[in-house]
Amino acid sequence: MPHAAGRTDATRAVVFAPLEGAGRAELVEQRITDAIVAGVLRDGERLPSESDLAGRLGVAVVTAREALVALRDNGLVHTRRGRDGGSFVTFDPDASTRIVERRLRALSRVELRDLSLHYSAIAGMAAEVAADRASDDDLASLADIDARADLATAGGARRAVGRFQLEVAAVSQSPRLVQEELRLQAEAGPLLWMCLREEDARDRSRSVRLDVIQAIRDVQPERARRVTTEHIAQAVQWLVDEKSRIDQASHPAGGAASALDALDAASVTPMEHRTGADQAVPAEPAEAAEGTPA
Amino acid sequence: MSTTLDLAAEHIARRVASTIEPLLAMVDGWRGVLEAELSGPFAGALTGSSTAQAATLDAVVEALVGAELERDGALITGAGFVASPGFLADAQWHLAWWLSSANSFGTGAGTGTGAAGAAPTLRRLEAVSDPDSEQFRDYTTLEWWRVPARTGRRHLTGPYVDYLCTDDYTVTITTPVMADGEMVGVVGTDAYVARLERELLPVLREWGGACTLVNASGRILASTDSRRATGALLRLDGLSEALAPLHEEHPGHAALLGGGEFVLPCGDTTLALVAEAPA
Repeated sequence: MPHAAGRTDATRAVVFAPLEGAGRAELVEQRITDAIVAGVLRDGERLPSESDLAGRLGVAVVTAREALVALRDNGLVHTRRGRDGGSFVTFDPDASTRIVERRLRALSRVELRDLSLHYSAIAGMAAEVAADRASDDDLASLADIDARADLATAGGARRAVGRFQLEVAAVSQSPRLVQEELRLQAEAGPLLWMCLREEDARDRSRSVRLDVIQAIRDVQPERARRVTTEHIAQAVQWLVDEKSRIDQASHPAGGAASALDALDAASVTPMEHRTGADQAVPAEPAEAAEGTPA
Repeated sequence: MSTTLDLAAEHIARRVASTIEPLLAMVDGWRGVLEAELSGPFAGALTGSSTAQAATLDAVVEALVGAELERDGALITGAGFVASPGFLADAQWHLAWWLSSANSFGTGAGTGTGAAGAAPTLRRLEAVSDPDSEQFRDYTTLEWWRVPARTGRRHLTGPYVDYLCTDDYTVTITTPVMADGEMVGVVGTDAYVARLERELLPVLREWGGACTLVNASGRILASTDSRRATGALLRLDGLSEALAPLHEEHPGHAALLGGGEFVLPCGDTTLALVAEAPA
């Protein structure tokens, strides 16, 4: 079985890779990037110190330092020296939009569809079980989350979707589904619900929410699952289409790096030096190539 | 249902109550200590502070709940005081909540089952108390706060997935803490449902037939019938009517359902026993 064999070789390679290798620092960087983009870590918030971070994530101090340097280079944190010094989150909506777009470009369609299936398995099952297990109080909480939803902005709509999905998972009474829902939201929430930038997608997210609440109220597990998974499938379909648009805009003739790559490179320069999105910084070849499969 | 069966079911209901009621009494005791500390002639006696502030109150709460959390064979996994927004001079939102060493929330470790002789490591819950943070949860909207705030009485929340604190399937008991006629917070405790199930199943089994313990919403906490999953709603004709007084925090009374099931409130716990006649 060639697939399995390839997998074994790769796994073996990881086993003997230097523990302080790029992999771990990148994982730390990715985790914190995700949290900043998702708004879990707030603008201006102080990150734990290098040694604290290393201790909590179970990596070496030098690995944590490497990740912080990369975050700083990407303009996601800034460092202040002195007694009140430390690393602080710099959240800029434009920068985070570009980070999510870059992530979308880096992921293949296969990976996007796989994310869709994984998330559907979790959220769909949660909705199905919730429809059987919701009490009147649970229904009131779900309706309350919907009533508080802010549909005016992409971020507001995404938070509402996230809060609602989390509550549905909680109503299913399964700690594992709740944990997996939280994990997936932290890892892929901003990417998955990128479609909420568009107003009609935000309106649809609301009507889906009302549909799910009704299915739960009517104790229709099958319908609750279907409405939930179809919503996720639509969101991922939007992503796949958006990826095509970005890829084509980026390589109109399938060739040289274009304006969008330059824009990408601009996003990795520190905030202070960025004067505007349209003032493109000349792209370094290595950065322009990042996330763009040949 | 014969009188003999009535008595047998009542005996089981009393034993269930006697498992849970010590937790209720413990929480009531903590409330008494905090209320005496926060108002009245002995206000500030423990903290040495005339104004209520997190900086001095936390140590009092820790001392109060810590000993119970680390007691051998304790049923509880978390406990503490949660302040009304704005009550403490130095903290707008404040959770003074401690987790026992058996609670692995946030440590990344597997579920500790409290290995005997392990060094006790009481931990403080790291709560997000900054309302601008996306992770911040307005705890005054949660059932364990909302219901005691509305009724002025003790409340048993759950079983539910507590993703704010224990990250597990939990029952929470909370009661209002009053000072000068106002609710200044709640004091309470968490217990894992898995741990309660271990204690309660042997008691329920003494009833020869299917015997199920439900909360006031009819949600199953434990059942001798293996097809009745913990967390599912028990759907029986007339059950929600029989449970209605418990849902309103009234004592409730025994009832006989159309299908021959006997519904018995378990003391002051707001839980009820649903005993089906042995085949």
